Amino acid sequence: MAETTVSVPSVAPFNPWKVVLLICVGCLALLFLAPTVGVLLSSIKTTREIAFGELWTIPGTIYWGNFIEVLTNPSVPQYFLNTIFVTLPATILSIILGVLAGYVFSKLPFAGSNLLFLVIISGMFFPPQVILIPLFQFFNSLGLIDTLWPIICVHTALGIPICTLLMRNFFATVPNALREAAILEGANEWQVLIRVALPLSLPAIAVLATLQFTWIWNDFLWPLIFTQSDEKRTIMVGIVNLKGQYSVAWGVQGALSLIASLPTLIVFLFFQRYFIKGMTMGAVKG
Amino acid sequence: MADLHLDNVSKSFGTLEVIRNVCLDVAHGEFIVFVGPSGCGKSTLLRLITGLESVTGGRIFIGGVDVTQVRPSDRRVAMVFQSYALFPHLTVAENIGFGLRLAKRPAAVIRQRVDAVARTLRIKDLLDRKPGQLSGGQRQRVAIGRSIIRSPEVFLFDEPLSNLDAALRVLMRLEITRLHNRLQATMIFVTHDQTEAMTLADRIYVFNQGRIEQSGTPMDLYNSPSNRFVAGFIGSPAMNFLPGKVEQTGDHMMLKIGSTRLRLDQSFTSVSHREISVGIRPEHLRVVESSAGHVRAEVEIIEELGAEVIAYLQIEGISDPITIRLPPQRHVVPGQQVGVRFASEHFHLFGSNGTRLC
Amino acid sequence: MERSALYWRVVLLAAPVTVFAVLVIWPLFSSFFYSFTNWNGFNPEYDFVGLENFAKIGSDRLFIGAIINTTIWMVAAILLPTLLGLALALLLDSKVPGGPIFKTLFYLPICLSAVVVGQIWIWIYQADWGLLNTVIRAVSGSSFNYAWLAKPDTSLGSVIVAWSWQQTGLSMVIFLAGLTSIPNDLLEVCEIEGASTWQRIRIVLIPLLTPATVVVVALSVINSLKGFDILYIMTGGGPFHSSDTLAMHMYNESFKKYLMGYGSAISVVLFLIALTIIRIYFRNLKKVDEIYG
Ligand SMILES: Nc1ncnc2c1ncn2[C@@H]1O[C@H](COP(=O)(O)OP(=O)(O)OP(=O)(O)O)[C@@H](O)[C@H]1O
Ligand SMILES: [Mg+2]
Repeated sequence: MAETTVSVPSVAPFNPWKVVLLICVGCLALLFLAPTVGVLLSSIKTTREIAFGELWTIPGTIYWGNFIEVLTNPSVPQYFLNTIFVTLPATILSIILGVLAGYVFSKLPFAGSNLLFLVIISGMFFPPQVILIPLFQFFNSLGLIDTLWPIICVHTALGIPICTLLMRNFFATVPNALREAAILEGANEWQVLIRVALPLSLPAIAVLATLQFTWIWNDFLWPLIFTQSDEKRTIMVGIVNLKGQYSVAWGVQGALSLIASLPTLIVFLFFQRYFIKGMTMGAVKG
Repeated sequence: MADLHLDNVSKSFGTLEVIRNVCLDVAHGEFIVFVGPSGCGKSTLLRLITGLESVTGGRIFIGGVDVTQVRPSDRRVAMVFQSYALFPHLTVAENIGFGLRLAKRPAAVIRQRVDAVARTLRIKDLLDRKPGQLSGGQRQRVAIGRSIIRSPEVFLFDEPLSNLDAALRVLMRLEITRLHNRLQATMIFVTHDQTEAMTLADRIYVFNQGRIEQSGTPMDLYNSPSNRFVAGFIGSPAMNFLPGKVEQTGDHMMLKIGSTRLRLDQSFTSVSHREISVGIRPEHLRVVESSAGHVRAEVEIIEELGAEVIAYLQIEGISDPITIRLPPQRHVVPGQQVGVRFASEHFHLFGSNGTRLC
Repeated sequence: MERSALYWRVVLLAAPVTVFAVLVIWPLFSSFFYSFTNWNGFNPEYDFVGLENFAKIGSDRLFIGAIINTTIWMVAAILLPTLLGLALALLLDSKVPGGPIFKTLFYLPICLSAVVVGQIWIWIYQADWGLLNTVIRAVSGSSFNYAWLAKPDTSLGSVIVAWSWQQTGLSMVIFLAGLTSIPNDLLEVCEIEGASTWQRIRIVLIPLLTPATVVVVALSVINSLKGFDILYIMTGGGPFHSSDTLAMHMYNESFKKYLMGYGSAISVVLFLIALTIIRIYFRNLKKVDEIYG
């Protein structure tokens, strides 16, 4: 009996278990943090320091040269602009399309709508490589290779499944009676969507916005396939490109990675709640 | 004038027939109550009247106009939902004025109308709140406010009070009566509550499995239910049903219940040699000394309600217990052997198929 | 009424369905089409070669290697993040002080791009000053400078570790969501019955986490099947194709060798694998739904 009272969490002021747990979690956290810290450290050290194995020590002085190098490189702002030009429209468009489809699937179901929904949702699960070649051929025949258009289009289309799924699930929580009350008051479906369903779904929109923004910003495959010239690169392809230019300038590479990740990091830290919700909701309710 | 007329209305969901050939006539200004067991199609019928669902057969007339193909918002009907269906992101004022805003009426007009409605319902100081900040009764009022602002011809209420606590239900019930008196509009009210049905209704429609079983004034239904279903459904506690047998002895008809024989009145002569079901309301039974009753019974459970006592008794030879309503001073205790007397002039006799025999 | 409902369905679905059909469904079918041709990606002319591309798959040594690597990659990608994520979730669920901060920490890598994650881990594995070798040198005292990513034996495994590092947070969060959805009264029953912490985890928590586990596993499989970016960054499939996966192999054949027809055939295989997995997933999801409502 005495044994069990020790192991069961009680109201006792000091609990040795908690400390053990804390130490365990702390160690794991340190291990998990190490890679990220490495990049941080590299960005404020000179190449010499890194090469001499001083990457993993706490720096005495901060070296800003890497950041200056990155920020004065004329390509970097261009990469950023390109990424923004891709990410913002694709995020917004995919959410709009998802809202439209999700509304129909949750509030205006019809014979066969479940099948159509499943077909759209399954798009989430397939490796994008499956449609790589035909899309390349398609945009090539339109003369759009080496522009940002194909990237925007493809991300919009590939965002439809997750956006539709999340919006359908969210709209399903909006009571049918609200829609019906609005219709009795003279609203048509569009007005129900805009004035009733959408204002109630802002949390879901926030979830999707953070999710889509992060995915599209971080994507590497599509810009790699669709762009060729340096002026059209997005930041993630740009980093890989600049690796050649800064082949042993590890600090510059670190600074570059950091700057490239800044937007998603900010989105993540500020909208963490939505982000986690989106990841789990999209996954759990599939 | 806003009479409501349903002509052979049917509704099926796929192969499931929910409403079967319903005909009903409601005069202008009448207060109608729909009752019926869960799933019998009351809500569906209301939704057909509003146009939220389309009929699969028959026609609907409001004010003499065929509205079967008319859009819900053009039918001049308003519905108050059980869940209130208030828009959570809009203020009370915006909720009430929602329809007017959709109709693009000038803001000043909307405000004026909303104010007028709010005054009637005594919710003026709630206008800037969101529905989430209101109590159940207040939400109910806002929902009613939204429905009356467009001055519809027909009001539909789908169990509007069922989410409220007992005291509030009584208050809101009076409120609705007042509203009806003032607006003189046609109202249809769905409820599961006997008291609400009996007190509010000019006429009650009893539904079962998508059909109208009977309609009439509350007292009509109570005193002369046209079949066993209605007899059992109207009244609380429900009517007792005892198995009985009708026999001809000499020149009168005798009714055999358990071990006792009762002489039947002249009016029962149409019945002969049949297994029937004898309905009798709990207030038409009396508890007497065990030797003085028509039948002997044992008291099983006593429910003291203050103003009255409900007793459940087991009659010899009859499996189901019967319910008796007693005055509060009657002292019976569980286990006691008593006699029960029937007031046979209050018998309701039903055939084995449930139809009334006389 | 019915008519206007039809009207709105058409109006609202027109845009999403068209975009999806043109940019996802149609290319999917074209993939099948191209897999029967010898198209090279530029030449507008190409011939139908029947099943030749698929026949070639059987004799393609690199394809076989890619299949094996994909299998290894997927099995590891299921096991590592799932087990680690479960352990972390159980640890964090037992009300460690600072839980939310730890949660953020473990979850953070998921918002980094594969490019950046690859970059980070290249440095961990760097032979001369990488963290891994630095630690090994410090512990063993020898002058250890093994190039983890440049050796066929360790290249794939090294990428898997990096990948797991990024994905673990996701599993952890899903498991945490599953843990919070376990009704409190069940845990209280454990306490009343005097179950030890370990018994509580084994008898109550883990079985009730089955739905979450199904999701995590499915997600890991799906994500790992898509895993391309990080391999491309860290090893490019090398050295000597030792870390080629199907997705990687398909990219190489199509966009390096310009064998678009053959690449399409590989993508068809990839599609069929994904289809099989998804069907298994949905079937089990149903079963889980039945059991746990
Ligand atoms: N959209 C629908 N699709 C299929 N069946 C439906 C639909 N709406 C209602 N039903 C079915 O129609 C029947 C009647 O439902 P309805 O809601 O009208 O019952 P009700 O009398 O209002 O019951 P309650 O008293 O519980 O509110 C039920 O069996 C219900 O399952
Ligand atoms: Mg109902």
